Amino acid sequence: MAAPLVLVVLAAVTVRAALYRSSLAVFIAERVEVASPLNAWKRVVEGLALLDLGVSPYSGAIFHETPLIIYLFHFLIEYAELVFMITDVLTAVALYLAIQDFNKVVFKKQKLLIELDKYAPDVAELIQTPMEMHYIPLKVALFYLLNPYTVMSCVAKSTCAINNSVIAFFILATMKGSAFLSAVFLALATYQSLYPLTLFAPALLYLLQRQFIPVKLKSKSFWLYTMQYASLYLCSLVVIICLSFFLLNSWDFIPSVYGFILSVPDLTPNIGLFWYFFAEMFEHFSLFFVCVFQINVFFYTIPLAIKLKEHPVFFMFVQLAIISIFKSYPTVGDVALYMAFLPVWSHLYRFLRNIFILSCVLIFCSFLFPVLWHLWIYAGSANSNFYYAITLTFNIGQILLISDYFYAFLRREYYLTHGLHLTRQDGTEAMLVLK
Amino acid sequence: FQDQAEQFFRSGHTNNWAVLVCTSRFWFNYRHVANTLSVYRSVKRLGIPDSHIVLMLADDMACNPRNPKPATVFSHKNMELNVYGDDVEVDYRSYEVTVENFLRVLTGRIPPSTPRSKRLLSDDRSNILIYMTGHGGNGFLKFQDSEEITNVELADAFEQMWQKRRYNELLFIIDTCQGASMYERFYSPNIMALASSQVGEDSLSHQPDLGIGVHLMDRYTFYVLEFLEEIHPASQTNMNDLFQVCPKSLCVSTPGHRTDLFQRDPQNVLITDFFGSVRKVEITTETVSLDRDVAAFESKFSEEELATEPLKYAEQLPVAQIIHQKPKQKDWHPPGGFILGLWALIIMVFFKTYGIKHMKHVF
Repeated sequence: MAAPLVLVVLAAVTVRAALYRSSLAVFIAERVEVASPLNAWKRVVEGLALLDLGVSPYSGAIFHETPLIIYLFHFLIEYAELVFMITDVLTAVALYLAIQDFNKVVFKKQKLLIELDKYAPDVAELIQTPMEMHYIPLKVALFYLLNPYTVMSCVAKSTCAINNSVIAFFILATMKGSAFLSAVFLALATYQSLYPLTLFAPALLYLLQRQFIPVKLKSKSFWLYTMQYASLYLCSLVVIICLSFFLLNSWDFIPSVYGFILSVPDLTPNIGLFWYFFAEMFEHFSLFFVCVFQINVFFYTIPLAIKLKEHPVFFMFVQLAIISIFKSYPTVGDVALYMAFLPVWSHLYRFLRNIFILSCVLIFCSFLFPVLWHLWIYAGSANSNFYYAITLTFNIGQILLISDYFYAFLRREYYLTHGLHLTRQDGTEAMLVLK
Repeated sequence: FQDQAEQFFRSGHTNNWAVLVCTSRFWFNYRHVANTLSVYRSVKRLGIPDSHIVLMLADDMACNPRNPKPATVFSHKNMELNVYGDDVEVDYRSYEVTVENFLRVLTGRIPPSTPRSKRLLSDDRSNILIYMTGHGGNGFLKFQDSEEITNVELADAFEQMWQKRRYNELLFIIDTCQGASMYERFYSPNIMALASSQVGEDSLSHQPDLGIGVHLMDRYTFYVLEFLEEIHPASQTNMNDLFQVCPKSLCVSTPGHRTDLFQRDPQNVLITDFFGSVRKVEITTETVSLDRDVAAFESKFSEEELATEPLKYAEQLPVAQIIHQKPKQKDWHPPGGFILGLWALIIMVFFKTYGIKHMKHVF
């Protein structure tokens, strides 16, 4: 499978290189949907320039990247385009390998459950076969590399690509079963942007599954493993943060990066939900609502963990989607990451109810974003409400997409254990309804 | 002792400034612009140069489309006296005449980009004449029909000026309805104030001109100007005479004045202390020899001059240097400890995952 992957990688690199040389690069780099205050490239350049002038880049509200990014780009700033292309390629390759491993696990588990007779007799058509699963890793890499969102993110040189690649490596490490590497990469991902903290739960569940430790609250081995993983994660996080202190010999980066992510002071419009609310809000309510909005990101972890404890990878997918919808400064690069996973659940296609409408909504909104931005900012004939409406629609589309997939997944699981043709107690046909 | 006492009664100022403000706009307030321009003319005639006058006119009567005689502003009926002329220097015109700008001019809290002509560059030896005219009420003066300045604000502005040592003595003249209310709240020293009417009285306009169609002057300013016509730079007329200008019979309103904050007796205050720019000249019969100092200064200068060659114009700007400048060298480097720590961690992680047995392949 290496050859098609290499072809895909070449195609992706060509597209990006072509776009870098064209005039679209400047246009895309300025778009607010692609570059947020957290990961815009010109802020990185500005921060490094400030550093050359002898001023801490964290003074003032320009630069919100972590010190490791300063270190990385201090040496690589002339090769920035190459760095971002390589990052994208690495992400795609990591996802490819991760999904390959995941497929093997899925297949093994399926075989085990068939032999244990856990499946109902008439679900033969629902069971995944190796034939159809063969091309899924390639499709995942393809979906990530050639997704217009990823291409735009790469051309804009938004450091979202680096965040995505760290998360991809974390996923790869988790799939391979290495708790240590997984904890290290998760710590790195959390250090970069705060929200991958919520991926701790699905990673833990997956690793527990791999070690065949049942998830029971009373089980001692469960708590032992959890403690080990949590301590690995926290230690690596502390080590990375302390190491960052030594770059500039100050703790300035903590309020600049994490304080900025959590308190959302910058209300530049983006594709998220925070900016409009807080532009309208009165001062004395803003703290309360900031807390409410931030809790919203972390809130779904526990219920999803309870519901999806047998299916941690799907949980990870849903969690990634929730992060990219509800985070304080989302960009299309974050959206691209969880969309890369959609081919993995392509067997759920028959249970998806709204996929046509949702894909239309997402595509139309993506086209309407720049149109309404132009109307609002340049033509002056619209106002922020128009842009916010498209933001809302886009996020509603994403949320409905995720909940559609969630429902389809649960439905398939139900059918697997209870059979495709459901009957009520009196023998008439029954239908599965989501309550 | 007589000299010292005389010194005490003479004003200690070395320069004169005038801030002349007309606060009304619209054609029917022609007379306020004419008032201000007339005072401007007198003050210029008596010696204060344009560089020391801040003239604020809220509207342009000379070029107003309703002016039957464009480029003129008359202060006398029958168009006897054109106070506009071609050497009027208006510093704040039209919408720039705002309360904020006025207070900024007075207190000197002006943005650095303001040109010199718009600044009141007075010091602690300056005598300032402040003349304001327009529409006012009990405790306020209306600016441009959209905002007001209150007597408290004005008093505070003068206090700021005093604390910043921006004036030696200040003469405040106001020609509006209920003008005396504007000087009620002053509390800074060395301020003398005159107003055209008391609280509750209106200041009336003097004479309409049927050719132009509006009133040309206000009564109080008209008679003040008549009075000022007889002043010349050497006259010894004092403030008490100014207080007698425009009695009730001529002005219909009762002019008021306030001198309790002023340290000198108004009798000893010359009109030209405020309206003119009279330099004090001390005549001495001593001779001072400058040759010695000039020679030393010249020799120092010639030494420095020998070192430099005259630059040609093209060479003064090192264009070749500028266009071929290399990008600045990066001055900042990550500290060694950080790099060491980071790579040590990375290597540790690598060996932890892949086992120690790979070490022998690396080394």
